[in-house]
Amino acid sequence: MSGRTATLTRTVRMRTAGVRTMIAVLLGLTAVCGVQAPVRAQSSRMFFAQKLTTTNGAQIYQHICQGCHMPDGQGASGAGKYPALAKNPDLKSPTFMALTILGGRSNMPAFGAKHGAGAMFFSPPALTYEQVAAVINYVRTHFGNHYSGPISAAQVEALDNAP
Amino acid sequence: MGERVGISVTRRRLLAMIGQTAGSAAMYQAMNSLGFAGASNFKEPIELRGAPSGASVLVLGAGIAGMVAAYELRKAGYRVQVLEYNDRAGGRNWTLRGGDRYTELGGASQECRFDPGLYINPGPWRIPYHHGGMLNYCKLLALPLEAFVQVNNNAYLHSSQAFGGKPQRFRSVKADYQGHVAELLAKAAHSDLLDAEVSAEDREKLLASLQNWGALDKNYAYVKNFDTSDRRGFAQHPGGGLSGRPVLSEPVGLNDLLQSGLWEALPLCDFYDMQTTLFQPIGGMGVVGQAFARELGSLIRYNAKVIDIHQDERGVSATFEDRAASMTRYTVAADWCVCTIPLSILKQIPMNVGQPMIEAIAAVPYGAAVKVGLQFKRRFWEQDEQIYGGITYTDLPITNISYPSTGYFGGGKAVLLGAYLFGPNATEFTALAPQDRVKKAVEYGSQIHPQYHEEFENGISVAWHRSPFTLGCFGMWSDEARARHYDNLCRIDGRIVLAGEHASYLPAWQEGAVTSALDAIDRLHRRAVAAGAPA
Repeated sequence: MSGRTATLTRTVRMRTAGVRTMIAVLLGLTAVCGVQAPVRAQSSRMFFAQKLTTTNGAQIYQHICQGCHMPDGQGASGAGKYPALAKNPDLKSPTFMALTILGGRSNMPAFGAKHGAGAMFFSPPALTYEQVAAVINYVRTHFGNHYSGPISAAQVEALDNAP
Repeated sequence: MGERVGISVTRRRLLAMIGQTAGSAAMYQAMNSLGFAGASNFKEPIELRGAPSGASVLVLGAGIAGMVAAYELRKAGYRVQVLEYNDRAGGRNWTLRGGDRYTELGGASQECRFDPGLYINPGPWRIPYHHGGMLNYCKLLALPLEAFVQVNNNAYLHSSQAFGGKPQRFRSVKADYQGHVAELLAKAAHSDLLDAEVSAEDREKLLASLQNWGALDKNYAYVKNFDTSDRRGFAQHPGGGLSGRPVLSEPVGLNDLLQSGLWEALPLCDFYDMQTTLFQPIGGMGVVGQAFARELGSLIRYNAKVIDIHQDERGVSATFEDRAASMTRYTVAADWCVCTIPLSILKQIPMNVGQPMIEAIAAVPYGAAVKVGLQFKRRFWEQDEQIYGGITYTDLPITNISYPSTGYFGGGKAVLLGAYLFGPNATEFTALAPQDRVKKAVEYGSQIHPQYHEEFENGISVAWHRSPFTLGCFGMWSDEARARHYDNLCRIDGRIVLAGEHASYLPAWQEGAVTSALDAIDRLHRRAVAAGAPA
């Protein structure tokens, strides 16, 4: 099984390296969050999703994070729970958030390409360092959070490359 | 293509062609190995005998794994009780029918407004013929099965970026792809390109087989003629009398075909778990869970939210909150425990097992998936497009449209699976409100079936990460995690053993749940017998 997966990962990497030009397209989904800017690029593969290209923190949150953390950042509880981001003291540390988003934590899957995101058709979407920084800065200043000190894409990248 | 282009095919070009095919196959192999696939190791019904006198087992979770375990352990003589979070049995084995209400995490509630007899399976929906464990329990529970149509050559392959967005019949894409590849290989075989690999004797057989496989003409060309139309379909089908003269269809050129990307969907019908014959229980997959629940009766305690699992040298206890009684807490105890709670939830429940199992439980994130069921006023896919069951694949986020494999030619309303998304598309659909998922499924689907605009009535969506009882669709093992943690997840820890699709090499398949449960209770039973009667 491992060999087969490795084959796939290689295939995808080769295939996405410029077989076709990525074309930014405006899709209907933007209407849902009431924003007009293009948010995604056309995939070059039939079963690989169109990439989210927006670097707007609110849009990234609305397209991805709120699936579990909910539109109001309150999280949710059933047989298990998703943590609230609203007034969450863990959010004081943008480093903690960056590492969590990039590499995953407990139930949360990894959204960093280095950690498997976007590698296979059923993997979670891979976010760029710029997108990770944007959504961190958004969450830390919304949902009742008022944390100062934004994180930059370069800082997120440095964290991801730290030994 | 079709006209002679000479023997100008270079080895590099040929290998690139084959590489594209192999790449696609490799993708589906990986897809199979990780999420959606494979053979089962089920051999024969289990026969556990001789439970130690008075021994008891607590089963956590009344999904397929939990109910298989409970059913067999009771038969072996154990005293069994089952705790289930939902007010119904089945877990992900589940069918939504008219009148059902589903409230997802976050509180959004949907009522299913399908007409009587119509349904959608939000979770598993098909049983390959070689999933012997599931088939065995369907037989035991006397559940009639019907064929599930996986491959339909008259369904569509669709790319919004190719052929002007016009859906192509699976049949014609397959015929054209095979034909063109056969023609290229025949050219290579006619030149000296394959001399190193193919002997002169084999070369003649190879050429004959390519002609046979690709519907090539006597010059080994894939061209418009009766034979190719007989594969890809006619512009006008043959009939009787003066009006019955067939009109041949024009194959699509190789370049257009390759650039369309539609070939990516072709191997889908070749994978082991997608090969004919597949089955579905009549009335919806959820009848399996319902039948198990009838069988087990009062053994199952519903509305029980497990909040703590504790073991010591004498036994196992589980504390739960009764969701139907103001979350009143109760504790139940047994000698042994089969825990089938999804890892997404189990990792949040205190349980005193060893560090290896704790790490294994934490190592598996859950994959995203979303399904949308849509009710239409009529079966336009049958009436207008002659599509009877099967699946259309598209590059749109909805990924699949699956037509019902039952009720053919019915004059009334019908429900189809309007979207089955996974990965990034599913993640984004999960972030939408339930009614917006339905709206999007209709918008996207109408690009393939314009009849949607006129015929759509209502729909319901299930985003598995919003499911209160699973917090995700299935255990998404990475190779690294499996190598490090899988055995530790499956090993008995003291008096506790885990089971479920997450404890199998068949993730997301019910057969994984069945075979995992059988494997777990077989080992647990041995340990219980060795331990003897409880003190």
